[in-house]
Amino acid sequence: MTEALAHGVGERSDLPIPLFYAYAGAFAALVVSFLALGLLWADSRFRGDRAGRVVPLRLPGRPARIVTLLLALHTTGLLLLGPVEDNAAPHLVYVLFWVGLVPASLLFGPVWRSLSPFRLLPDRPRRALPARLGYWPAAGGLLAFTWTELVAPEPAAPPTLLVFGAGYAAVQLAGTRVYGHAWLERGDPFEAYSTLVGQLSPLGRRADGTRVLRNPFDGLDAVEPAPGLVATVCVLLGSTGYDGFSTAPAWVDALQSGPLGRTALGTLGLLATVAVVALLYGGCLGLAGLIGGTRGLAPRFAHTLVPIALGYLVAHYFSLFVIEGQRTLVLALRLDLVVDQNAVAPETIAIVQVLAIVAGHVAGVVAAHDRSVRLLPEARAVAGQIPLFVLMLAYTLGGLTLLFAA
Amino acid sequence: MSGGARAEEASPHRRARTARPSWLAGMVWRAGMVWLAGVAWLAGTVAGCGPLSETHREPGNSHEVATAPPGSTGGEARAEITVRAGRVSPPPGWVEARRGQRIAITVTSDVPDELHVHGYDRTAELRPGEPVTVRFRADLTGVFEVETHRSGLVLTQLAVR
Repeated sequence: MTEALAHGVGERSDLPIPLFYAYAGAFAALVVSFLALGLLWADSRFRGDRAGRVVPLRLPGRPARIVTLLLALHTTGLLLLGPVEDNAAPHLVYVLFWVGLVPASLLFGPVWRSLSPFRLLPDRPRRALPARLGYWPAAGGLLAFTWTELVAPEPAAPPTLLVFGAGYAAVQLAGTRVYGHAWLERGDPFEAYSTLVGQLSPLGRRADGTRVLRNPFDGLDAVEPAPGLVATVCVLLGSTGYDGFSTAPAWVDALQSGPLGRTALGTLGLLATVAVVALLYGGCLGLAGLIGGTRGLAPRFAHTLVPIALGYLVAHYFSLFVIEGQRTLVLALRLDLVVDQNAVAPETIAIVQVLAIVAGHVAGVVAAHDRSVRLLPEARAVAGQIPLFVLMLAYTLGGLTLLFAA
Repeated sequence: MSGGARAEEASPHRRARTARPSWLAGMVWRAGMVWLAGVAWLAGTVAGCGPLSETHREPGNSHEVATAPPGSTGGEARAEITVRAGRVSPPPGWVEARRGQRIAITVTSDVPDELHVHGYDRTAELRPGEPVTVRFRADLTGVFEVETHRSGLVLTQLAVR
């Protein structure tokens, strides 16, 4: 049984990116931010949910969900009864499902919505979903999952995964029973996650269910502000950030020889990272509101963090997905193949990491610019954006620093 | 850019309000991609031809970390680690190596345990007080944890470039 420190599964982590790459990325982020301030459009361009060309596409929902249900049962069976050595289940959970959800959603839109076995349940709400609940259950669920993955004493051990899986299933069953499928949209952490990432897919899904081909920026613009949305995005950014520094020698030393013990300090580290991300966001958005003379901006800019979080996720999981993805297939299908652990060169990994972080930054800046010129009074739109760009630069430089130093 | 703008003004039938947004967004998107590709290319060429990228954590530059400069002991990267009362000394750091270099990790533990080098999947039985050395050639790149299985301690991380 492997008990790597980070990522739940995986035998290796990435080398630090070369200093030059970090500088090039930081420089790119700075230049793009200032160019965006001066050169981008003065009137909002993105049309959110109205944008896109309708694609007449009906997906067979039921069979796909039944396949997922069978896969989930198979994984549970492996966790309960599978071999101690070379059990495929942790890889199926952490690599195929959790990491695979990102590229799948990026390509095909909100895939977990189409695959979720909970949507096989009848949609008979007993009560209307309270609006103030919003994304809070998803934020909590994602925090619980990332805690399991990054902090739990044995993230890949069957009992750990079974406890998480049982809790997850129980909450979804109860939520669906009371609130119907409306619960799953924002209460199922993985559906909320997949739908948020899927907003950046060219193959989008409108609120009324129509499939459209659209500019990813329009998809991003269609994210509805709701309570807990900021928290959800901050959990994604913060947990990936924590993943970044959790293998740093100083932190490893503190974890295993500090007075608090590994799990307590790890939990504090994870929560503190999420809190720093959220405080930075709250502070900068408050400042933007003051400069722009507009209140209540925080939820209406949360979508701009989605591409930044996505950049972090790609940077942290790219090599894991390529290498452990092979192992997942080898283990799950019992193939007689050897995993090529040198499948991607360190230079390739470094380039993908820096490009992902910088591309996420650029997309975030563009989305924030468009939202600013829509919401802020014309005379203050440029000045009001400055705190937003400072915020994004902080996230981007933070991400690059983690790649470089940890 | 200016040619395009003129053409737009000159054509009276263009549905400017609806057509422009995606057109402009597309331009920005493409320009951004070209620019990013340029940065990536620049990064690739500069990093590929000089020692610029190797200033960070060069073996021997770091402190309190079990590293050995390559070439010092017949091209072998070595680390000597002691585990006493659940404490690792020197504190878990990095062992730096180049791909193809030989690695020797010597561990002395005060309790019976099993040594495991992740990725390379080397294991060795540790008997109390007896130094045990695992030797192998670093043929996988990346950062790999060296840990004890029973006490679950990270002893060091092996960084192979």
